[in-house]
Amino acid sequence: MTDVMFETREIGSLAKPPWRVKAFAGRPIEKADVAEAERWAQKLELDGTEELVETLRRGEVGHDELRLIDDWSSRYGLALLERAGLDVVYDGEQRRTEMYDHVIRHAHGFEQRGTVRSFDNKYYSKAACVEEPAIDGPYDVDEYRFLAARTDRRLKVPFTGPYTIVDWSYDEHYGRHGALGATAEQRADARRRFLLDVAERVVRPNAAAVVEAGCDWIQIDEPALTTRPDEVPVGVEAFNASVAGIPAARRSLHICFSDYSLLFPHVLDLDDCFELQLEFANRDSHDLGTDGADRPGYEPLFLFREHEDAPNVGLGVLDIHTNFVEPAELVRDRIVYAAELLGPERVSVNPDCGLRTRSWDVAYEKLANMVEGTRLAEEALNRAHAGSR
Amino acid sequence: MQAFAPGIYPRSEALVQATRDLDRGRTTAEAVDQQFGRDLDELVRVQQEAGLDLLADGMLRWQDLFRPLLEASEGLEPGPLTRFLDTNSFYRAPTPTSAEPRLGAPLDERYVAPLPGRRIVTLPSPYALAHGTGLPAKVVATSVLKPQLDALDADLVVLSEPSLAREGAGGLAELHEALEALEGGPKLALQLTFGDARELLENGLAELPVEGIGVDFYATHATDVPAGFDKLLLAGVVDARSSALEDPQEIADFVERLDVERVALVPNGDLQYVSEPIARQKLARLGAARTARAKETAA
Repeated sequence: MTDVMFETREIGSLAKPPWRVKAFAGRPIEKADVAEAERWAQKLELDGTEELVETLRRGEVGHDELRLIDDWSSRYGLALLERAGLDVVYDGEQRRTEMYDHVIRHAHGFEQRGTVRSFDNKYYSKAACVEEPAIDGPYDVDEYRFLAARTDRRLKVPFTGPYTIVDWSYDEHYGRHGALGATAEQRADARRRFLLDVAERVVRPNAAAVVEAGCDWIQIDEPALTTRPDEVPVGVEAFNASVAGIPAARRSLHICFSDYSLLFPHVLDLDDCFELQLEFANRDSHDLGTDGADRPGYEPLFLFREHEDAPNVGLGVLDIHTNFVEPAELVRDRIVYAAELLGPERVSVNPDCGLRTRSWDVAYEKLANMVEGTRLAEEALNRAHAGSR
Repeated sequence: MQAFAPGIYPRSEALVQATRDLDRGRTTAEAVDQQFGRDLDELVRVQQEAGLDLLADGMLRWQDLFRPLLEASEGLEPGPLTRFLDTNSFYRAPTPTSAEPRLGAPLDERYVAPLPGRRIVTLPSPYALAHGTGLPAKVVATSVLKPQLDALDADLVVLSEPSLAREGAGGLAELHEALEALEGGPKLALQLTFGDARELLENGLAELPVEGIGVDFYATHATDVPAGFDKLLLAGVVDARSSALEDPQEIADFVERLDVERVALVPNGDLQYVSEPIARQKLARLGAARTARAKETAA
């Protein structure tokens, strides 16, 4: 038996540094922001940041300066993930405004429809689909090429999935006419046409172009996939339409903060999906241990044990909603539990979701511990296997 | 034929910004209060201009359908942040404490604002308020909702019920018993927001002890309303979860197909799921649909 080894990777977003946020918002860049850029350059051993630091110090930000700042925040994001020790990296989506808005900004057929409350005094912007959506051309290729030229690590590119785009948008096109008093079948048909058009006309051409540029791993992000349980099958159909004909070596699907039991058995119909990257740590205990009672958050793994032909598991081992830095030993035990339940060949390691709500300091510590915990898990499992030989 | 707008109304962009600024320490509570007042004045003006029959205060200060009542009560408190149905909005789920449920004091003018005319008030249905708490709906009806209802001066109280249409008819008996405990006060209507009412209509929804029943006609087929329906039908004919603006004539034509004597045109749920400029236009179209239908009836 070969030694057990787990691949480590991020999921998506990191926070944006204050010097980037203020520059793009047209707010003054302060001394503390410049110091932050210098501190992280040193920590990440980034060379050549003098021009960035000088630009931030001057504080006069025009088009060229914004471009420079954009590039450097991408390089910082990449370096943070590399320095933390991940096997598979990207740039923490530094150039993207937000996963929904990033797509809407680049697609035709959507118009902003104002602000809606999420809860309390928290709000979000929502767009409406007003005609068949489409894109003029791929919009993530430059982002990918920039990073591919600056790392030797494998890159995994995230794309917001069609179901999430549709579910977070209003529909003023597909279901507009006859909506009042329509039958359930009519409503479902309108929804399906909307979904498949977004998959085929927005997500797929962009992802295909990124793969053509050299990317070999595309990750479709679908946090909304289980929002309407009866629509999970058509969500799976939309995933398949998004990746159809794209010769990526790997396709994976990220879902979080959901009832995963709703995914089964439908996810067995995902076309050539290597892995489901799921959130678990958010639901788990902080106690050490590798028994089921120690790991309540990982109970949904039994769904994967029941379905041996399900995709592999990208095991969320970091809670992205708390500053609690998971000790390496806790990460180890979560991985060991999953590996013993499913077999190590079905498990890889990642955070629950993107770490954009954490500071870089917290995100870095969490990721570094994730990598260290992964090595501890490998040692523990290899030791156990050696002992049993 | 009537028209009115129960439920939570969206905040204006100015109020959105003010509340965001308050959270970030960039403005004062007094300044936000003043903006709440301006939003309420504008909402009243929009409803009057639309010709709505009963005014609503839009529940502008309500964080969600339950929070003010939970904060004013013993025995219940705001619990975990929970997704509201299949939307991208969240609420604090009612959670029991060790105390007996009891409304401490009826909600004050911050939550039931004075209005210059005949009015509706929206409260959660007893079934919704008890949902997930393990408490019988009749208990929260008697101990929390009944004292609140007794303190209200309203032409109609709409009890908003988002859960039952998705759960089937199993909860109807519990709801029936709870609604009986609320009798003797203002007129009541039960509105099933954002859900298909067919199964409930087939299983005696129209027999509940209330003046009116609200049905979402963006999820329920017109023919699902049983023949002989003799209550006030709160017809959810404006889609509060869609930015598309309804055609008043289409609404009027649809209502004509409903074989019901007493109808009130309403949104199918809280308008807060669209932005305020869109909600304002929807109210105008709600009023226009009522006018169009009234003209047809007169002719």
